[in-house]
Amino acid sequence: MADILDILELEQPASEISRDSIIHGDKVKKKYVTAKAVKRPEGMHREVFALLYNDNKDLPPLLPTDTGKAYKQTKAKLGMRKVRKWVWAPFTNPARTDNAVFHHWKRAADEAKEYPFAQFNKQVTIPSYSESEYNQYLKSEDWSQAETDHLMDLCQRFDLRFIVIHDRWDRAAFRDRSVEDLKERYYGICATLSKVKTNPWSNTVTMVNGEKRIYHYDAEHERKRKEQLRRLFDRTQDQIDEEQMLITELKKIEARKRERERKTQDLQKLISRADSGNLPPISQVNNNNEGTSTPSNTASSIARRHDRKLHKKKLTAQQRPVRTVESVTVEWSGIKFPEARGTGVWLRSQRMKLPPGVGQRKTKAIEQELRLMNIDIAPTPTEAICKHFNELRSDLALALDLKNALASCEFELQALRHQYEALNPGKTLTIPPSICNMVADNETKPVGEIIDVVGSPSAHNTTI
Amino acid sequence: MSLQTDFGPDSGGRVKGLVIVKPIVFGNIARYFGKKREEDGHTHQWTVYVKPYANEDMSAYVKKIHFKLHESYANPNRILTKPPYELTETGWGEFEIVIKIYFHDPNERPVTLYHILKLFQSPATEGASAQPTVGRNLVSESYEEIVFQEPTQLMQHLLNSVKPVTNGPWTHDTDFEDKKDKTLQKIVAAQTKVRTEISDLKDKLHLAKETISKFKDEIAKLQNSGGGSMLTGI
Repeated sequence: MADILDILELEQPASEISRDSIIHGDKVKKKYVTAKAVKRPEGMHREVFALLYNDNKDLPPLLPTDTGKAYKQTKAKLGMRKVRKWVWAPFTNPARTDNAVFHHWKRAADEAKEYPFAQFNKQVTIPSYSESEYNQYLKSEDWSQAETDHLMDLCQRFDLRFIVIHDRWDRAAFRDRSVEDLKERYYGICATLSKVKTNPWSNTVTMVNGEKRIYHYDAEHERKRKEQLRRLFDRTQDQIDEEQMLITELKKIEARKRERERKTQDLQKLISRADSGNLPPISQVNNNNEGTSTPSNTASSIARRHDRKLHKKKLTAQQRPVRTVESVTVEWSGIKFPEARGTGVWLRSQRMKLPPGVGQRKTKAIEQELRLMNIDIAPTPTEAICKHFNELRSDLALALDLKNALASCEFELQALRHQYEALNPGKTLTIPPSICNMVADNETKPVGEIIDVVGSPSAHNTTI
Repeated sequence: MSLQTDFGPDSGGRVKGLVIVKPIVFGNIARYFGKKREEDGHTHQWTVYVKPYANEDMSAYVKKIHFKLHESYANPNRILTKPPYELTETGWGEFEIVIKIYFHDPNERPVTLYHILKLFQSPATEGASAQPTVGRNLVSESYEEIVFQEPTQLMQHLLNSVKPVTNGPWTHDTDFEDKKDKTLQKIVAAQTKVRTEISDLKDKLHLAKETISKFKDEIAKLQNSGGGSMLTGI
């Protein structure tokens, strides 16, 4: 309380009237009196004053009393091991021939050790030849001996760094040569010498399975490679853009081609499915006591026939033989309803559930067709109704697929006709009108106007 | 039930090749109060039921039927252990009732039916009068068949020992025989139509395929004769 009043710089009340003050009235008063005895001098900060005087009137300690470890910062300890000493020491590099002495920092423990980087100073052994050897083996139309000597000298001096050698080539004395020329000559010499001499040159000959392998430098290939890189590098932005454009075009064309092949394939399957005549005579509709195993039998026979068909019609099937294996799918063979369970109780209506393989879109389309034909999408489930209802929906699915396939055929025909017209201006191909009706039914027909319907009697014979 | 000891849960096993079908009818009737009830806002009284299609006492083979009502009802899980398997409630809204039929033999799994409780006449069937009529019962019921494929011996015995429910006539609001006949006829007619359509489409597809290859031949001929420099983007 006294602190707050101090902060607010208010005079402390002489006495507070509270429960406490009434009960222990005299005691409280006494305390206030003693506290008041030492008044804070004007201008002295409260904190400083509090150091000098507190309620107990004890003096603050003269020495720091906080000797415990709690707040003391321990010395940073970074490693587990003892500190090792570094010394500023002279060293000689054994790779150098001039015995120059330099200084560097090294560990006191490593004092005796050799300069560690000396080991990287690898020396290349350059083959040498006598004059007679040169005349015997190394003569060349293109290279004089002086020039060859100059090359070998530079190779020795610059440790086979051919770019440097090429740079330092004595163009005043000899004609300018490319890096490839230099390399070709050098490795040619190495190869010849290693053949005729007994001691193999370390860097051009490797022993593999006890047999000498001579490094062969393919100069022509190198030249081509560099030329190729140069051309790649020298392309202009326009060229790069054009190339990019062409690549994307190519990808598009390839994608279209794949798509078309896939469609042809699917179509093939569809035709074989339709051909395989899985349309049992409808007259047997009313004897509905057929065994439950029949659907599976027909399905497998379809599959078998289907395969046979595919072998017969190889013209398109052979392009993608892989897909023919998975030919009996829900999508292209109507709907295959699951067979009856083994034992137990089940509800008849469960048999009419579409299998999960049938997609949402197809389900919707089938239901739409059923509605158009005024058939309940969940009819009264008797055995006969279930059977026929499932067959009907399977047929509807097939019909929908066929329609789609026919539509895509139509488009392909259109495309082919356009291609034909482009190739052979003024002439056209006639698409049989019965096919086109299909699409014209579904779509608004810009198609119909182009088609030459004259002279085709079957123009309007389709009722779907 | 004196025979039950002979057909314990593990006795006999299943009867090979036997299929017993028990048709049933399930659904609800509903009656409009004529106004919204003051105290709880309910408008209809309805009864949901499961009954045999034939004049048979289902309790011979059915142990209990579980109706699961909407959760807003007090104790929505209603279990009936003897016929008639029906329960009457009042309410204001339609919802799906899950009906689970348990059989006396625990080896036969229960079957589940789903029924959408119907209180309001759908405008399409009733025509112009969307206003619910007072007093008249609305019926929404479905036919279903419970198929016992290779039942257990106990179940077979129970299924074959059903007694008639009543000595009088046993009828349903809906004439299911008529409905069955009509549905079947409609479906078969549609099947014939769709199959004609399929063979028609098949022919067209054949024609289309042939035409495509003919066109391709034509184009190939042109391309070969006219030098191969034409762009073939197709």
